[in-house]
This record gives sequence, C-alpha cells and structure tokens, in this order.
Amino acid sequence: MSLLPYLAALGLPVMLAVLLTWPKMRSLVWRIMPFAPLPALALALLGDLPMNAQAEWLILGLHFGLDEVSRLFVIFTGLLWCAAGASARHWMRHDPHATSFGVLFAMAQAGNLGLLLAQDALSFYAFFALMSFASYGLVLHSRDTEAQGAARLYIGFVVLGELALFAGLALAASQAGSFLLADLRSAVPSDMAVALLILGFGVKLGIMPLHLWLPPAHGAAPVPASAVLSGAMIKAGLFGMMTILPLGGVAYSDHGTVLMAAGMVTIFAALLLGVQQVNPKAVLGYSSVSQMGILVLGLGAGLMVPEAWAAILPVLIFLAAHHALAKGALFLGTGAFAAQTGLASKLGVTLALLVLAFILAGLPASSGGLGKEALKTALEAGSPVWLPWLSVALTLSGVATTLLMARYIAMIWHNPPKAPANPAAEAVLLPFLLVSAASVALPAVWGTLAQTVAAPIRLAPSGALWPVLCGVVLAAGVAVFAHAQRIGAGVFLSQLTAPFRAFGARADAIVAAKRRAARRLGHAVPKALGDTATRWRLGQSAIACLIALTLAVELGTTQPAETAISPVPQTDPILLQDLIPTPDF
Amino acid sequence: MMDAPLLPLFILLTSLLAAPILFALPERAAKLRTAINLGMAALKVALVGWLSLKVSQGVIYDLRFEMLPGLEFKLQADPLAILFIALSAVLWLITTIYSVGYLEHGPHRARFFGFFSLCVAATVGIALSGNLFTFLLFYELLTLATYPLVIHRGTAEALRAGRIYLIYTLAGGLVLLLGTLGLWVLAGTTDFAPGGILADMAAENRLAAQLLFVVLIGALGVKAALVPFHRWLPIAMVAPAPVSALLHAVAVVKAGAFGIMRVVYEVFGIETAQALGMTAPLAALAGITIIYGSIRAITQDDIKKRLAYSTVSQVSYITLGVALASPIAAVGALAHLIHQGLMKITMFMAAGNLAEGLGVKRVSQMDGVGRAMPGTMLAFTLAALGMIGLPPLAGFVSKWYLAQGGLDAGQTWVIALLLGSSLLNAIYFLPMLHRAWFRDAAPEGEGAPGRPRIGWMLAAPPVTTAVLVLVAGGFANAPFSPLEWTRFIVAIEYQE
Repeated sequence: MSLLPYLAALGLPVMLAVLLTWPKMRSLVWRIMPFAPLPALALALLGDLPMNAQAEWLILGLHFGLDEVSRLFVIFTGLLWCAAGASARHWMRHDPHATSFGVLFAMAQAGNLGLLLAQDALSFYAFFALMSFASYGLVLHSRDTEAQGAARLYIGFVVLGELALFAGLALAASQAGSFLLADLRSAVPSDMAVALLILGFGVKLGIMPLHLWLPPAHGAAPVPASAVLSGAMIKAGLFGMMTILPLGGVAYSDHGTVLMAAGMVTIFAALLLGVQQVNPKAVLGYSSVSQMGILVLGLGAGLMVPEAWAAILPVLIFLAAHHALAKGALFLGTGAFAAQTGLASKLGVTLALLVLAFILAGLPASSGGLGKEALKTALEAGSPVWLPWLSVALTLSGVATTLLMARYIAMIWHNPPKAPANPAAEAVLLPFLLVSAASVALPAVWGTLAQTVAAPIRLAPSGALWPVLCGVVLAAGVAVFAHAQRIGAGVFLSQLTAPFRAFGARADAIVAAKRRAARRLGHAVPKALGDTATRWRLGQSAIACLIALTLAVELGTTQPAETAISPVPQTDPILLQDLIPTPDF
Repeated sequence: MMDAPLLPLFILLTSLLAAPILFALPERAAKLRTAINLGMAALKVALVGWLSLKVSQGVIYDLRFEMLPGLEFKLQADPLAILFIALSAVLWLITTIYSVGYLEHGPHRARFFGFFSLCVAATVGIALSGNLFTFLLFYELLTLATYPLVIHRGTAEALRAGRIYLIYTLAGGLVLLLGTLGLWVLAGTTDFAPGGILADMAAENRLAAQLLFVVLIGALGVKAALVPFHRWLPIAMVAPAPVSALLHAVAVVKAGAFGIMRVVYEVFGIETAQALGMTAPLAALAGITIIYGSIRAITQDDIKKRLAYSTVSQVSYITLGVALASPIAAVGALAHLIHQGLMKITMFMAAGNLAEGLGVKRVSQMDGVGRAMPGTMLAFTLAALGMIGLPPLAGFVSKWYLAQGGLDAGQTWVIALLLGSSLLNAIYFLPMLHRAWFRDAAPEGEGAPGRPRIGWMLAAPPVTTAVLVLVAGGFANAPFSPLEWTRFIVAIEYQE
C-alpha cells in the first residue's frame, strides 16, 4: 500500500491551513474547507483493509494504517468535520478572527484524522498534540472573558494530558521494545504506564474529575468548533484507550475498577452539574461528559475482564459513532437555532433538536436505545459483581440524559448563543440537517457500514421507552416545581386555578355580552321609533291630525244646528260677540 | 584531493585568518567586510560538508605538532567533532548574515566582526581538539574572544556583565588548567580516545581519579552553566542579539557541554566514570539545573533573560544524557546539542527582531506581535513548541531518546524530571505565544502603527533556523540527519 493516500488525507487540511495565510486564497480556501476530510473519508470507505504504509524517514519512522476500528472512526469523524467546515464557512464570514480560526480549525482537523490513521506511538502522539494545541485557538476564539477563562483551563488540562501521555507512551514503548501500536497493545505494560495512559486519554474524554475543562470549553467555542470538539475530538481519547491500552490481554482489575467507578460517578454527577448551566452549549458539554461515562464503563469492564473485551469493543465503536453524530448535530443545531429569526423556523429547529435529544437519551430502536441495550448484553460477559449495578446505571442514564436534554431545550430558548451578525440561515441549517439525518439513519446503515463488527447492534433489543418517558415526566415535574419555587406557592396556586377562573370569567363575559345585546335591543326599539317619529315629524303630524280631527268632530256636531238657524236675519256682526261670553247684566 | 590530510586545519583557518583581516579593514569598508565574512562562512560550510563526508566514510584526520616534549598540539576530526563543527559552521553562516543586518549602522563593526570570527575559530578549535591541552588553549581563546562581544555596547551595565562573565569563565579556565596538568601527571598524556585513557589509573588510584573528575567537570560546568556556576549567563544578556544567539546556541555554553562529553567519554570513558561512581551525582546535578533554570525563567519579564534561564535548563539535558550512561540517552544528549542550538538561536534572533522592529523587549509588551511580525513569531513559536517537546519538532526527538535512555538505564526518575521540565517550559513559553497570537496589540505604543521595517537579513535567519528545527525533527530518521549522525557517534563511543 502506498503512502500517497495517507499524505493526501493529512496533507489537504494542512495545505488549507497554510494557504489561508495568503489573503488572495482565503475565499477559495473557505470554499474548499467543508471538503477537506474527503480524501480521508474516501480512504476509509473505498480502501481494502488492512492498508499499512510507512515512511521510515519521517520523525522516528511513521507508520500509517487502517483497521476495522479506525475505519469507522474516520467515517464519522470525517463526516462531522465536513459538516462543521460547511457551518464554519458561514459562521466565520464576517468574523474579525476568521483566518486565525480557519488555520487552527484545519490544523486540528489534520491532527484528529492523523491520530486515527497512525499506527505507531510517536505519530499518534504528534497528531494528538497537534489537535489538542490547535484547538486552544478554537476555544479562545471569541476572546471574551468567558472564552479566556475556558481557554486557560483548557490549555492547562491539555498540557497535563500531554505530559501524562508522553510518560505513558515512553514507559509502554520501553517495556514493549517497540513503538508500533500493535506491539504496545499486545505487550504487558506496567501498572504505572497504564495509569498514565488512562490519565492522558481521560483528560480528553472528560472522565471525572478530569472533566473540568470540557463544559466551559465546549460552551465558549463557536458553534462549528464545539461541534467537532464534542463530537469528534473527544472520541480521540476513547480511540487512544481502545488502540493503545492492553485491552483483551492481561487483566488490570484495579485500573478497571477505578475506571468503572469514575464512569458511574461521571454519568450522574454530570447531570447534577449540567442542569445548573445557563449556557445551552455548556449543558451539551456536560451531557457529553455524562455520555463518555457510559463508554468508560465499557472500557473499565474490558480492563477488568479481558475475555469480555471482544464483545464490548464493537458496541463501544457504535456508541462512539452514535454520540458523535447525535451530539455533533445538537451543537450544529444550536447554531442553526440561533441563526433563525422567525418563530416558525425556530419551532421547526426545536422539533428537530427534540428528535436528536430523544435519540441521545436512548429512544427505543434509535441508535441510543440499541447501543445501550447492546452494551448491557456485552457487559454480561464482564464482572458478575458489577453487572447489576452497571445495568441499573445504564438504564438510569437514559433518565439523566432526558433531563439534561430538557434543560438544554429550555436554555436554547432562554439563552441562545450569539449568532453571526449576518447569518445565512439556510447555509447553517444544511450541515445540521445532514448530520441529523445521519444520526437518525445510523441504526439502518450500521450493518452495511461496519460489516464484521455490526452483529451486536443487529441483535440488540430495541430498548425500553420508560426511562425516557420517566425523564420527560420528571423534567416536566421539575419544571413545574422549579416554577412554583421561583414565583412562590400562593402565586403558583393562583396560576394553577387561573385557567378555571379564566373560564368563569369568559362565561361571565358571554352572559354580560348577551345581556348587553338584549339591552341594546331594548334601547334600540324606542330609539328607532323616535328616529322614525323624527323623520316623519310624527308629533307635529299627530297634533295636526288631532286638531283636524277635533275640528272635524266639532264641525260635524254643530253643522246641522247652524243650518237649522240659518234663516236668522242678522248674521254679519253677531259671530264674534257670540263667541265671547256675555256677562249677565 | 591531495591536501585532504590538512582539511581540519583549513577549516580552522577559515575563521582564524578572517579575524586579523577584519580587524585591519577600515570601518567604512562595510561591503568588503560583509563579503569576507560571508565568503569565509560559506567556504567553511562547504569544507565541513566535505570533511563530514570523508569522516562518514571512515577517514580519520589526525594532525600533531609537538610543542613541548610530550605535549602536543593535536587536531583530530572524529564523528563527535564533526557534530559540533557542523553545528557551528552552519549557524555561523546564518548568524553572520543576521549580524550584518543587525549592526548595519552600528559603531565598531570592524572590532565586532573580528572578535566574532575569533570566537568562531575558537569554537572550531574546541571541536577539533585531539587532546585536553589543545582543548584548553581554544577554551581560553573563546573566553577572551567573547568578552569584547559581551561588552560591545560599552554601557555601564555591559561592562559590569562583562566583568562577571570574565570572573566566572577565567576562574573556570584556571581550574581547567589545573585539571589538565593533573591529567598529564596522572596519565602521562591528555589525548582523547574512545573508551577513555584513565581506566588503568582509576583502578589504582580511585580517589585521585574522582578528584580529577570533579575538577574537570567543575571547570567545564562553568561554561555549561551547571547550577552553582550559572550566574554569568543571564547577566551576559546585555550583549547584542546575534552575540547572545551565538553564545547560547553554539559557542560558550555548548563548548562547556561539548567538553563534558569529551571528558566523560574520551578521557575517563563512560565505564570508568560509572565505576568511579561519578555519573549519578553528575546526572543529579544536571537534573537540579534543569528544574532550577526553568523555575527561574518563569518569573523573568525580560524576553532575553527568560530565554537565558531556559538555556541554563536546556543545556543540562546534554549533560544529563551523558551522565545517564546509556547509549540511548547518549543519542538524545548528542542530538540535543544540535537541536537545542537550532531552537535557541531561532528564539534569540526572533527576540532581536522584536526589539529592532517593534521595540519589544519584555514579555508583557508582546501583545499582538504575531500579527505585526508573523514570520519572526512563527519561527519563535516553532522553536518554543520544540523546547516544550512537541513532535515533530527537534526537541521532541531528543527528549524521547532521553526518556527511553533513562528507562534503559533503569532511572525512572528521568521521566518525572522530563515531565517537570516540559511542564515548566510550557508555563513560561505558552503565555508568550498566547500574547503574541491571541491578544490584540495595545492601541498606543511605539510599535503599534504600521508594519515594522526589518530587512531580509534580519527576517530570514530565524525563519531558516526554524525550518531546520522542523526538518531536524520531522526527518530525524533520514540519512545525515543530526539524529542519524549521533547514532553513528554513540556506536563509536560505546564501542558497539
């Protein structure tokens, strides 16, 4: 196998980083950025395994290769970097520090892909360091107080992790007499070496208490960066443990016990800390910590009982892919949400985020539910003492994740992250929907994608709904309770009865309206009459009529008598004197 | 070619003969001076390239002139000499270009370049010395040639620094003279030979051999800046940037480290030194120096001072690797002689550029300098990350070998020491990088508006050496890399 595909896969991001420093090329480079992981993806999707290649003259001799494990890691990592690159292009369009971001983004990408392709300890370490140190700039990107604090914490933990990793790799390589990863994995390193390696990778994975840097960093980084930080780069710690620790060889039961205990604590403590966060991306960061706790349970079980590792490994790969896609999509979706302006589009994105949240929490038949059930099955081969506890922990983790997701959904509405001044909403939406679709489709395509390691997932039961439902109910309950706490019980009660009172008030209003109508009607008749009367001058007419009538009656009764006395000789002066009563003399 | 046996002498003469010519040239003849400087430096690089090709083919050069009965002036070109001489030849060329740019309008250039040449001649002599006596001659010449460079600016501070420098190094030289005499008396010769010349004598007179070891290493430890004798190095920072660069990367400090190598490997022999029980204390002393230097570096605000304390720390990696008495650690030590030289000269030239271009001399003024001088700061960044020990930079390779060597020798504490040193390196270098790249420059200040004007003679050298840092680490396994060459040397010294 020639070295060329590997050089292309790693060279393209590095070349983009270099070209970005040339102002004339910038717009072109940003256009290519989403496609930078394509050579690596092509290598993973089209290459025939195993593909080993080496460059003896580079550093102390570089060895590249792809096996069934790293192939799958490259696929989901590459996909996520594609989406994040597309998102970053629009996210950074008017950002003053866009170039610095782009350079470090591409370098971190080269490191992340490189460590998946590395087959010897030194190149692995080199790429791991490149990824970790380049990401410093991604965390610091906004340069505000929050980002500065997060970046300082981040770099401290990175240096700590790198030192532990250096020491662990140096010890392991010295004991194995080789620095090929395959030799390290099959050797029996000392307890110290294994502990240092766990420490070094544990920092990246965010195992408590090494998680401190993670939520602030993921919260402070811009959306595209936090998507890859949480989706792809976190998995580098898992990948390192899976490929370097002597899993499946000799039992390291102390290390396994510590890891499992740490994993258990991590799953639930992350919940307690996460629900207090105000920044939705920090909530997602804690959710990542919690999810990594689940993966750590598998690692711990594998260290404790080597025979169980063969069953655990395929499940861990699936869970890693599941978390990468779901969490990557959630982060990208947070950005997509923030970029929407209309209420309808905001509601639409929220709906999509809800689906992802349920997948992450382990909705039956989704990748989350399947993965968790498969892990339970795989752990049955592990330590019988731990098994019931692990089973309970895995089930309850569904409740925990649902609660965290509820908090997250609430917080994106309350406190959405800052979106760029001039967001191209559709352009931000597309990568989000792409990764979401991948996340939804994961259980369906895993069989063809993973082939030889897909069996545990295919056979896994779809999982139970009740933890998620329980989480939803609890979340609703907690929301109500918190609301009551915040506004006081009396107010809350009055708010509870408000609908009834409102109903009563509405009914009253209807009755009143009817009455008013009737009254209006009542008023209306006389007024109409009055109006007509006015229009027709009824009063005057009536009086006129009355007078006329009276006159007519008068005339009718007096006419015959007049005619009877008509032969009266003197008529002319008499009329007026007749009318005036004459006094009696 | 027929004159091949005299090749080492020619290499020595390229800079030794240049010195009087440069002194004699009038101050105005800047172009001629530059031509002579660069011509000689380039000629030397070519000759050293030829010499190393010959030596890699197994040719051994050995030139002797008897000065007193039994006391010879001896030049030899073995692989170890080639390692040091190649470093000094390449970096001399680069530093000469830098100095020409740096001192373009400065006073006393004839004096400066004369002593500069003399200083490099002394370094070449130290590298090529075939016995401790010859070594001593050039070692003293180096002291005397660098003094005028340290006080070049002539300020009161410079004079004071020069005085302290002279006191330390002359005292060291005097002790070295005593040690050389002692060696001559005890062994009857001062020749360097793989495997050492003291094996028999050390078995007979253990105490005298131990005392000799302490005297010789103590004397050399002054220039190598081992901890109780390190004080002169940060004070000598008043020298102009190219002098500091050369002092730290090639000449004085490295002469001490190189001397320690010669004494441990070729006077005592590593097995004898181990049998005398002297390597463990030396390793401990180196360890203390590594940590102490780094701790002191953290609190320095002056960039050059911080770099100077960093040198105190980093040069002791070489001593540590020698003292661990493991061939793997020795590879790390020898490689670090080159790697540290490349990294530190980069940083000093970059610091010089910051001072020249922006007037930035303190760490606290470094905000936003990355945007103002991207090339220089990129070079600085590569060198600093290399010092911390990140792959694929040169510092990682030597550190990896030191770690593996420590484990090979069964000294697990070396890992902890290296971790501590890396952590401290990160603590004092990363904030500088943070300021340079991730902070915006203060709105007012002398350097803020516009791009600084520095010529290519200042801009190119640090970039070149930074590329070398990348290449030396990235292609460490390629033929003719420093690492490959050191593996060749170690095979000889450990007589495998």
